[in-house]
Amino acid sequence: MSHDVTITPLETQALFDLRGPATVLRDWAGDSLPAFPQRPNTGSSNGRATLMFLGPDHWILRADLAREDAFEAALRPVAAPPEISIVRISDTLAFFRIIGPEAGEILSIACPLDLHPRCFGHDAASFTAAFGIKALVIRCEGGFELAVDRSYLPMMTECLTAAAG
Amino acid sequence: MLLITCPFCGPRNESEFVYGGPVKPPRPDPATRDDAEWTEWLTHVPNPVGPVEEQWWHARGCGTWLTIWRDTRSHDIVGAPHDGG
Repeated sequence: MSHDVTITPLETQALFDLRGPATVLRDWAGDSLPAFPQRPNTGSSNGRATLMFLGPDHWILRADLAREDAFEAALRPVAAPPEISIVRISDTLAFFRIIGPEAGEILSIACPLDLHPRCFGHDAASFTAAFGIKALVIRCEGGFELAVDRSYLPMMTECLTAAAG
Repeated sequence: MLLITCPFCGPRNESEFVYGGPVKPPRPDPATRDDAEWTEWLTHVPNPVGPVEEQWWHARGCGTWLTIWRDTRSHDIVGAPHDGG
């Protein structure tokens, strides 16, 4: 049975892993970051980047790869104070976009998340398991985005293709 | 399959977690214990018939370590005994 979805591998994204107290990160980064999301497993955007709240004192900043150098300069990871950690992880995750009327069907095959909009709303982003491995799932316009460690890219491509039928 | 409530993420499927073993009593000072007591603490794994306190790691989620009480007779997650569970 085939599903009405379009699965597209995305280009490498600019990603920064931010850890530490939000107040210290906010003071350090100034206005270069979007507003810090208040609710766990949600993201906030400012048009240039998205900041996702993915764990206690843990955020991931996502932007187009073209902005990577600008964020590196603004966040100054090497000079960051000891209470916080800022690490560029752009090369570590491979992204897929899964959109279409039955995108939810593919995600429900892949992962155990409750994807009902009441639980996983328009701004939701969370780590979970997809086909048994750790994955980042983000709701996007018309479907979802899925990110896995780059070494799982061929496996995830096969699994998503098989799930889509 | 368990539905485990993560303090950060809320209820999540057991497949996102890694079992971290039962919660053991605090580590005693080996200098004040005899060999039998020390060996007992090192090697004894609590395995009661009934509620047992366990550690779980939300490894495929937010990374939080948490503890739950699980009844070994029913595999149900239950309240802590002192909470009347």
